[in-house]
This record gives sequence, C-alpha cells and structure tokens, in this order.
Amino acid sequence: MRHIIAILMQNEAGALARVAGMFSARGYNIESLTVATTHDPSISRLTLVTTGDDAVIAQIINQSRKLVDVLEIADLTSREHLESELLIVKVASTPETSTRIADFTHRRYGITLDETPSTRTLQFTGRGAHISGVLDDLAAFAPVLELARSGTAALDRGDLVLALQD
Amino acid sequence: MNAQLEATPEPGAHPLAGTPMTGADIVVQVLADEGVGVVFGYSGGAILPVYDAVFRFNHEHPNADGSEPLPLIVPANEQGAGFMAQGYARASGKVGVALVTSGPGATNTVTPVRDAMADSIPIVVICGQVPTAAIGTDAFQEAPISNIMASCAKHVFLVTDAAQLEATLRTAFEIARTGRPGPVVIDIPKDVQNAPLVFAGEGQLAIPGYRARLRAIEDAELDEAACARFVDALAQAKRPLLYVGGGVVAAEATAALRTFAQALGIPVTTTLMGLGAADTTEALSLHMLGMHGTAFANYAVEDCDFVIAVGARFDDRVAGVPSQFAAGARFIAHLDVDPAEIHKVKRVDWHHLGDLSRALDALRRHAAARGFDPSGVGTWSDWHAHLADLKHTYAMAYDRANPRIQPYAVIEAINRLTRGEVIVSTGVGQHQMWAAQYFDFTQPRRWLTSGSMGTMGFGLPAAIGAQFARRDLLVVDIDGDASIRMNLGELETVTTYGLPVKVVVLNNCGDGMVRQWQKLFFKGRFSATDKSLHKKDFIKAAQADGFEYAVRLDRPEDVDRVVAEFIAFPGPAFLEVMIDPDAGVYPMVGPGMTYGQMITGDHIPSRAPAPAKEAGPSEMF
Repeated sequence: MRHIIAILMQNEAGALARVAGMFSARGYNIESLTVATTHDPSISRLTLVTTGDDAVIAQIINQSRKLVDVLEIADLTSREHLESELLIVKVASTPETSTRIADFTHRRYGITLDETPSTRTLQFTGRGAHISGVLDDLAAFAPVLELARSGTAALDRGDLVLALQD
Repeated sequence: MNAQLEATPEPGAHPLAGTPMTGADIVVQVLADEGVGVVFGYSGGAILPVYDAVFRFNHEHPNADGSEPLPLIVPANEQGAGFMAQGYARASGKVGVALVTSGPGATNTVTPVRDAMADSIPIVVICGQVPTAAIGTDAFQEAPISNIMASCAKHVFLVTDAAQLEATLRTAFEIARTGRPGPVVIDIPKDVQNAPLVFAGEGQLAIPGYRARLRAIEDAELDEAACARFVDALAQAKRPLLYVGGGVVAAEATAALRTFAQALGIPVTTTLMGLGAADTTEALSLHMLGMHGTAFANYAVEDCDFVIAVGARFDDRVAGVPSQFAAGARFIAHLDVDPAEIHKVKRVDWHHLGDLSRALDALRRHAAARGFDPSGVGTWSDWHAHLADLKHTYAMAYDRANPRIQPYAVIEAINRLTRGEVIVSTGVGQHQMWAAQYFDFTQPRRWLTSGSMGTMGFGLPAAIGAQFARRDLLVVDIDGDASIRMNLGELETVTTYGLPVKVVVLNNCGDGMVRQWQKLFFKGRFSATDKSLHKKDFIKAAQADGFEYAVRLDRPEDVDRVVAEFIAFPGPAFLEVMIDPDAGVYPMVGPGMTYGQMITGDHIPSRAPAPAKEAGPSEMF
C-alpha cells in the first residue's frame, strides 16, 4: 500500500542519499520526495511517498531510524494527517481557449503565474489525487507542454508534532 | 610552541589545548587520546600528511622502552589493514583503526567495512581524499568514498570544513563504539590534513538524534512488571533455553549471562558469533546452534518450550525457516540493544531494549526474590537429563578410522594443546565450521570469524590484528586453501613484524563448502570449485615469505606430533594439512529445512528419517 513517511534529519551532505538508499537498496521506488530546511536551519524535513509491502516498509523505517543523521521518522499513513502538493503546469493557449483556461484556473483554486500569446503557466495546490484530477481535466482542452510537481508534503493533523524525543 | 605549552590550561582541559597543529597532527593526537595502540594502514599520496604526522609523533613521543607509541602496521593490501583493525577490535573490544589513502586505498577497505557492519565490530577507517577543490573532477586516485561507504558503514564523514575535523574524529570513535557497534569512515581531503588549525582538546559534533536514541536505550531499566511477566512465564516453562548471540560478546555481558544461566539452571546455545559467551565445556552448554550447529543443540531448540534470545537476531543461518524455528516454544523473550531487531524475523512475546548485563541481573534478582528455585523439586531436572542424553547420543563424531587425515582430528589435536587458551581466527567455509564445532570456547573475544558477511580471506589479517591486541596469547589462524589465497600476501606481514602467529591451512584442494552444496543440491557438478590441478605450493610460498617453520602434514599418524611441534614453535609458523577432500560439514540444516530435518551425516545419529523431498537449487542461499 501507499505510505507517506516523514523524516526529520540533520541538514548534512549525504543524509538524504542515505535515507533514499534504504529504499533503493531494496528495489523500492520512491514515488515522490520533498526536502527542505525547517524553522530550525540545522534540520531538514523530508516527506517520502512509496508503495510497498507493509512489513518491508516497517523494516525500512526501523533501519532508517538508526541512521546517525536521522532525528525522527514516522509513517504518517496510519495516522490522521494532512497532505498537499504543488503543481506548476505550462499549457498551450489560443485565442479560442484562453478564456476557458482562465475560468478553469479560477474555478479549481489555481493561479496564473505567467502568460504569453501562446502559453499559460498555472499553479494548483492540493492533495495528490486532487492535483491529478485537475491535470486530467485541464489536459482535456489545453495541451500540456511541461509540468513540475513538488511531490507530497504532509503533517500530522491536530496537536501531534513530529520532533526529536528528548 | 613553548609559549603555548606554558599557557596555563583550564583545570581538566587537555594539556595540548590551544596548541597550533595541522589537521594531520590533530588526527594523530585524537588517535592517541582515544587510546589507539596501533594503526593498520597503507600509505599513498592523499594521506601523506597524516603518515608524516604519525612518523613525527612516534619520533617525538617514544615509550619508556624506546618503542613507538603508535606503530603503523603495513599490510600487503588495504583489505588486510581493514581486517587487521577488525581482528584487533574483536580480540580487545577496543576500536580498531585503519589508515589508507584515497581512491583504490579506500575502495580496498569496502569489504572489511561492510564485514564490520554485518558483525557489529567497532572500527574507524580514515581515508585520505583528493583536495577539496579537486573533488568531483576525476582527479588522480579519486573515488566518491562518502557515497560508497554510506551504503555499508554505520556512518561516514566527509570533512570539508577543516574546523570540524577534530570534533568529527572524536565523534567517529563515539559512534563506532556505542550502541550496536560498527564501522565509521572518515574521508579527509588532503588540504584539510594540511590546514593550520588550533587543537581544542575537546568537543564532539552534535548528533542529537543518535545520542537521544542511545541514551534512551542505555538508561532503560527493566521495571518490576516486566520482570514479573518474564518470571511468570518462565515459571510455567518445562524446557527453557538461552539462545545467545554476538551481542553478548559486544556488550561485555558474558559474566552476567553465565551468572544468569547458572543461577536459573537454563542451558545455553550460542550462535557462530556468540561462541565464547558461554563456556562450551560446561554441562549446560550446548555449543553452537544453526545450519552447522551441533545436533544436540538443534534438537534442544526443537524440544524447548521457552526461548530467551540475548544479543541474537534470528539470522537466516539460525532461523532458516522462521516460522518453524523453536516451533514448540510457547514463549519467546528477546533482549537486545537494537530496536530494529525486535520482531524483525520472528515475533516475540516479551522484549527488552537496554544494557544486557543490567537486564539479566534484574531478571535473576527478581526470580530469586520470588523464591524461584531452579533446582527445586523436579523443576527442570527432566529437561537437564534430556539434554544430557541428547549431548551423549548426538555428540559430534566423524570417521576416526579413515586412512586420510580428517580435518576434525586436526582441530581436536590443536584443541587438546590449547584448551581455550588461544585466539582462533578463520577464513570462511568448511574449515570455519569445523573450527567452530570442534574447538572448546571458554572465554569471549577468542573466536574471530566473519560470521554474517562470510568473507573469505578474513582469517590471516584478523589473526595479525589480534596478535597486536593480545601479545600474551597464542593466536592460531585456521584457514582453508581457497580462503587463505584471498589475502595470501599477508603471510609476509606476519614475518615482517615477527608475529608468532600460527597459520593452519586445511587443504582440500578446492572450495570445500561450495563443493558440499554442489554435491548435495547440484548433483555433484563441481563448477569452478576443484583446485586439485592448481600448481600452488603453499610451503614454498610460506618459506618465500620468511616462515622458518613451514611444514606439510599428509599422514594421519603424524598429526599429533607435528601439531605439537607447530604449536610449540616460538615464532611465525605455517602448517599445511592435506585433508580428506571428501570430508563434509555435518550436521547440516539445509536451506529451507527445519531443525527436525537436519542432515547429520554418516557418523552422527539422526532422530528423524532423511527428508523425503530433496531441496531444489532454487530459492536457497
């Protein structure tokens, strides 16, 4: 099944590769991966989405927790969580479709980042499934030229905070 | 320099705190501060500043007897340096150190680093690296060591900021020796070695996640409720068994384990890595379990109803079929220091993560306080009698009348002379298993073997490292003809340093263990494992490397006499024994087999008929 794994780690060269290696060494593909520094500049938060056997994923998490650079790791899948993803997409635009693209973007809570006579660059956010739906609907009338997705970022819902246990 | 030394250091501060030093000098000073008594390594361009610093350090700080405080031991190949550091660490419990250059020097240590990881052995490997500005340019002797080693070491540091060098070195030792021990690699670019720095004499890197997890386990105590659950279950048991692994040796918990086992009257079987944790000559010791464990230990596992796993991990050479391992056990308890090992292979009913000695002591005291009396009326006397019967009926045995030299007889002959007062190292294969089966192990850290990785070529360099750790003890490398070939260059290292290491090659003209599998599972097609036509003359090789004692033994009637003179020889000694090439390793729990289906061979009785279904070659390893 699909797993969303959140990892806090020291912001060190090589830390990301070691975590990613835990998955690649077992032949597991990482579907999405986001990494960025947190409010503490010495700590990065990584959100990783992968699909695989629950027991193997649990094993990977247990082994990853032993990595020296890892502060905390949790499988958010089994907990109530919030997830969000960003899509930036460039579509072809013609005088016939430009209004429809603008309406669509407004209706799906997107924004227009850039426009040229022949293209529109749009931004949408939301859960991964929502983003995929937006993209499908958009592509039905505006040819997609290129896109970039951020991958899933996720946090626990409610008061729960992922932090180093002292 | 003098002015610096005259400055009054803070009370408790390092006497050299504030002294200007190069990065290379700081490397050597931290090694000295960490109590490193010997460094194994091979020089090269990118590590030259550190080698020069070692030279100067030894010149400036000779021991009272004139010897060097930090001798550099030079192997034939950096793989040898890595295994020497391991042999030193395994025999002493201290961190072993290897010092190598960049590129090929560093990549040659990948195998010993991975091997140390797999067997949880604390070593620090310091690698030179091309200068920071040249990293990533395909410079001469450049390799991406931090990437390569990250996959196989406990941790790796690439020191790009010279100001972090000193703290990094100290932290590397801390990581290597704490928690579940393991190898740490430090990659130091040449410009960092040459950087003008000031020695602080203190300081570590912040590794908050690691330290928090470590502290949680180090501080963990068994509470009364947990002890009570354990003792309640134990009181119900009729046939308890301790299954002990290398974690007990690593944790220096041998004394606590033996006291626990004795006080509660619980028999002990150990893994390959756990040999020496229990005294195998004692009545309630069942020697080794597993794929090539003793038949009586494996039958005891079949028969037990309560398992206490201590510092062991249900590895595939022990629990080949996890669901069938100790299938009769109604309760399995697991004590370890690594959270990732709990429930990894087999679900357990009770576990504790923490210091093994304290936990075993707490359980023992709790049991005693409850008036638990193992020698009380009929408690486990039936079980003890059953085990005595198993040990008698299914004792290790072989063909003593065979006209060819039996390898078991050679091990027995050495064992009769040494009786546990010896450090034994091995290569990997049949000879390794024969040594494990036929030696007595009375103390920990005297059995050095590549257990998890199974690295052929381990034995000779490990013996060299062990002899540096224990100058007072006899060190014997029991090797095979194929294994010793892998690091044969280290024969010369033995004589160069005048080490009284005893090297035994049990020569069966091939890869005996692989041949045994081919015989059993591949219908005798000996693909690439027969070396009977090879031209190697091991005696000449040993002589060429300076062995004054180099003898070939090929008549059974000479075994006792020659082994005695070989062991008694005062210096380096080499003994090649032409053994029966058909000698096998039994018992054998084949891949996919349960202990009940164990093949005991022609000379040890079996209590089950041979398995009806022959294992296929697929899906097994």
